[in-house]
Amino acid sequence: MGTTGREAAALTPEESWGTIHETLDRTRSSIYLAGASTILILWGVIVSLGYFWQYAYQTMASDFFADRPWIPLPIWIALGVGGMVGSGIIGHRATSRIAPGVDLRRAGIKVGLFWLAVITAAFLIPGAAGLWNAELASRIPHVVVGILGLGYVLFGILFRPALAMVGLGIAASFYLPSYLAGDAAAAFAGAATLLVAGLGWAWIRRNEVA
Amino acid sequence: MTQDATVLDETIHQSTRLRIMSMVISWPETDRLAYGFIQKTLGLTGGNLTTHLRKLEDAGYVTIAKEFHNSKPRTWVRATPEGRRAFAEYLANLDRALNHRWSRTVSPS
Repeated sequence: MGTTGREAAALTPEESWGTIHETLDRTRSSIYLAGASTILILWGVIVSLGYFWQYAYQTMASDFFADRPWIPLPIWIALGVGGMVGSGIIGHRATSRIAPGVDLRRAGIKVGLFWLAVITAAFLIPGAAGLWNAELASRIPHVVVGILGLGYVLFGILFRPALAMVGLGIAASFYLPSYLAGDAAAAFAGAATLLVAGLGWAWIRRNEVA
Repeated sequence: MTQDATVLDETIHQSTRLRIMSMVISWPETDRLAYGFIQKTLGLTGGNLTTHLRKLEDAGYVTIAKEFHNSKPRTWVRATPEGRRAFAEYLANLDRALNHRWSRTVSPS
């Protein structure tokens, strides 16, 4: 695209002002999205692993786990911690590819704190609601997935609406099978979550920086 | 409108270059920006971005550095002090142009 005097003259002062603001906004949100596609697929794999593992123990060792209803908790905590560490490493590498600046580290810390708050809420709210007991433990994932989906929706509203759609997709991947697929719900949820994460990854890779 | 355009630096006062300059100027002076980040954030083709970056480089507003990291080529863009001064002046002139248009709009005839 060449530049002509006509092109320059076509830009009014108001348009110039708008262009500057829009560019600054877009730059800021692109920084917050650094590494988002890889992080999204990482969490898709982690959550799917959790669902598949849940399906496996429910079908193959249901008697053993019936007496030990607490076992899923440390498994999900281990997966969650692994995901957080992996996300931190991916985010750090992605921002250093953009620019090795202090401002980006601050952005990374802000994004990390946002998700840490969401994940902490996802663990604490079921406790506050009295769900951390053997009788009601099966309801915990319904709350956790809803809060994580809300995290994606809020992040999407702030930075890219497409991520809000991913959040809705992740929630639907769990809720629909849990109400419709009976004993195979966890297997369907795992496959659907992987699919949603894959679609989100493809969209971000195609349209965004990460 | 033509009058407004004449007081604004024409190297910067072009949609794509204005967006590039807004991006690199928003970065701290000590930091540089990856070429790929600018390209994707602004949704430009490689050829388009290179053309406009060359014009800004020719004007002395940005520097472009190429280096290899883990055997992969990387291109970095940084605003020069002259580019920062020119952009500050551009903003001041833009502000004047907007005020001028606004005062003409609201002043009683």
